[in-house]
Amino acid sequence: MKTTAKHSAFICYPANPGKAFAGLFLFIFSGFPLLLAQSSPPKEYQVKAVFLFNFTQFVEWPSTAFNSAADPFVIGILGEDPFGDYIKETIAGEQFMGHPLVVQHYTTAKDIGNCHILFINSNDPKKIKATLSAVVNRSILTVSDTDNFAYLGGMIGFVTRDNKIRLQIKPAAAKDTGLNISSKLLRVADIID
Amino acid sequence: MVKHQHVGFWSNVTFVVIFAALFIQPFYAIAQVEERLLPSALKKLSMEDLMNIEVTSVSKSPEKLTEVASAIQVLTGEDIRRSASNRLPEALRLASNLQVAQSNSHDWAVTARGFNGAPLSNNTLANKLLVMIDGRSVYTPMFGGVFWDVQNVLLEDVDRVEVVSGPGGTLWGANAVNGVINIISKSARETQGLYAFGAAGTLLQDFGGVRYGSHVDSTFFFRVYGQRLDQHGIKKQDDTDANDDWNMTQGGFRMDYLPSSHTTLTFQGDFYGGKEDDPTASEINGQNLLGRWTRTFSNRSDLSLQVYFDRAWRNLPLAAFRDQLNTYDIDFQHHFPVGFRHNVLWGAGYRLMDNDVRNSVGLTFTPASRTLHLFNGFIQDRIALVPRRLELTLGTKLLHNDYTDFEWQPSVRLAWTMSTQHTLWTAVSRSVRTPARFDVDETTPFITTENREFAAEKVVAYEIGYRVRPMEKLSFSLATFYNKYDDLRSINVNSQAPPTFLFANDQRAETWGVEISGNFFAMPWWRLRGGFTFLDKQFSATNTSVYPGSDLFEGLDPRNQLVLQSIMDIAKHIQLDVVGRYVDALPASPITIRVPAYSLLDVRVAWNFRWLTFSVVGQNLGAKTHAEFGSRKIPGSLYVKTALRF
Repeated sequence: MKTTAKHSAFICYPANPGKAFAGLFLFIFSGFPLLLAQSSPPKEYQVKAVFLFNFTQFVEWPSTAFNSAADPFVIGILGEDPFGDYIKETIAGEQFMGHPLVVQHYTTAKDIGNCHILFINSNDPKKIKATLSAVVNRSILTVSDTDNFAYLGGMIGFVTRDNKIRLQIKPAAAKDTGLNISSKLLRVADIID
Repeated sequence: MVKHQHVGFWSNVTFVVIFAALFIQPFYAIAQVEERLLPSALKKLSMEDLMNIEVTSVSKSPEKLTEVASAIQVLTGEDIRRSASNRLPEALRLASNLQVAQSNSHDWAVTARGFNGAPLSNNTLANKLLVMIDGRSVYTPMFGGVFWDVQNVLLEDVDRVEVVSGPGGTLWGANAVNGVINIISKSARETQGLYAFGAAGTLLQDFGGVRYGSHVDSTFFFRVYGQRLDQHGIKKQDDTDANDDWNMTQGGFRMDYLPSSHTTLTFQGDFYGGKEDDPTASEINGQNLLGRWTRTFSNRSDLSLQVYFDRAWRNLPLAAFRDQLNTYDIDFQHHFPVGFRHNVLWGAGYRLMDNDVRNSVGLTFTPASRTLHLFNGFIQDRIALVPRRLELTLGTKLLHNDYTDFEWQPSVRLAWTMSTQHTLWTAVSRSVRTPARFDVDETTPFITTENREFAAEKVVAYEIGYRVRPMEKLSFSLATFYNKYDDLRSINVNSQAPPTFLFANDQRAETWGVEISGNFFAMPWWRLRGGFTFLDKQFSATNTSVYPGSDLFEGLDPRNQLVLQSIMDIAKHIQLDVVGRYVDALPASPITIRVPAYSLLDVRVAWNFRWLTFSVVGQNLGAKTHAEFGSRKIPGSLYVKTALRF
């Protein structure tokens, strides 16, 4: 059998195999998408979303962090949301000591409501410092992936090294607000004094 | 810089833009390969395991793939392991922005955006692609290309292969004229335990290997591996055995020492040896050793130093020709932020290449031995014009080589991230291919005379691309390009014959094309990926002494090609994986016949039982035989493979 498109086992085409293949490609890639609707973040943020969820299992919040037993446990995102729906999928159906987990979005530090974990999406040190001072003395676990977050006064910084995510934790900052970070988490992190 | 004086430029640009628009409108298309991990699976992992996931895949400095202003396709280790590939060049067929063609049982031509130079008996003339294996360049200064027969890696331990089509000269160095292939293996930490495999088949005579990874403590990891391949010959044009059987035995190691969370020390090496029959019987062996020290200061700041030695030896006993290349290389790079808008990456390197040839009657170099020095320095600034939205990347590389002295390779790239789903990018860059010994020193009696004035080949490339993720599970990438080449190699008729020919720089070319790729997680158990590439080109000679057909020595490329890969877990323990590819015809050249278009299918069926994987694989099905490059024909074949993982 000759190697022509006509006789190929791959698929049979009448005339121009190039165009026909292109057509097949378009067909396959254009048909399905309408069935789906969500945005997916880069892998880096998929993993970070799961880290945020995991923090609920390694940090103790004081009982004063909730006004009532019905209050949700809030993961707040300040600035643009890099996680998309991935984080919602991650926390769907999960709870913290009976408080259901929810995600809230804030545009400015003033918007931050009753929140338990705050992810600050900014690379501007001034804005970060302003945000940290706006939530000071509240039992909010502050997290960011900006440079030197823990040195700026934040509690947990994501640092990418060798293509992998590491944690920089400043336990003192957490303790000051009544949060208790488990030693299990501290053991795998870089501690910033 | 090159001026575009003639009318053809705009008509070509118009063509490219229209072509691009046609493809964008129906689906808003462009692709990128991003692995999607299920939240439920990630949540089961320990914190340590989460910290072991590789999250970025990039150029030389960490940035999100979606933001890279270049036509990059990434083959993941999984894409490769779920294909029929046994060897690296076979795996490269999965990248639709590469033109990959096999010329005989052991030799391959691989390029991006065209210029797969004609096949020689022992190699091909393709010379516009830079290939790096774990940071070690495997581009040879002899031909200016890659000897693909000796570029073997244990595919099980490949983390990913980044394929950039389009110039990468600013960051990656000379000869990244049309693209860069960056093969990245997993760290020793990620390859702990025993892996063993054995395979045998109709074309693949036998192939087996073992890898063992372990650690001394939580900071010191290592692995060792060995593999052996015996491959049957393929067919001649008349369907008789081409007798190009070959074998390759390879071993190696890698050690990763992580004394602190800031520092990584890597030490790795490989050695190989093999024999090839027809078209030119060869004995080959080589060794390499590489050390790399990386210090990370923060997300945006790091420093690394890399040193390697590479020896490649090739003996053609019948032709009485021998080639030995010793390469010593040192590279340093530093990445740091300036304010929060600038990300600066700069570096410098030096390479010494000691090439020693024993000349034969059929292939002669004068002088027989050469020591080549290559110096380079580069600087690049990524500027956040509007943070997370609009990013401008300016950079240049300055290099010094023995043939043409200083060469500049600047580039300007602009990426506009309209939302997390859409990125539009454009780039203008200049890149060079520095002369190879083949261009300058070839003095085969009665055939070629040397050309000490041989200049660097130059390209100015204009690119526009678009990347979109319209749905969570779907991503597309579209890249369009228009390249203008000057001082391209030509084969000129020598007026004072004999010798009859010499290489000169008397050709120009324009190329234009479109690359579309996509990745689709159709179902939790079914993933599709693939791409389509269109490429066209126009050569012109600038001197009447250029040998007719000279353009075809430089570029035998298909106009259209399509790759589709389907990866399916059809039952709990059963995988069904299919790769279909269509490659357009190649024209006849003065030394090769026309290659007809072909459409072929690779099928892999695998059963997984805990630590055992058994697979039956059909390769190049759909035609009894097909030619890809030259007249030799590759038969459809079958092999079975057993793998153990502990």
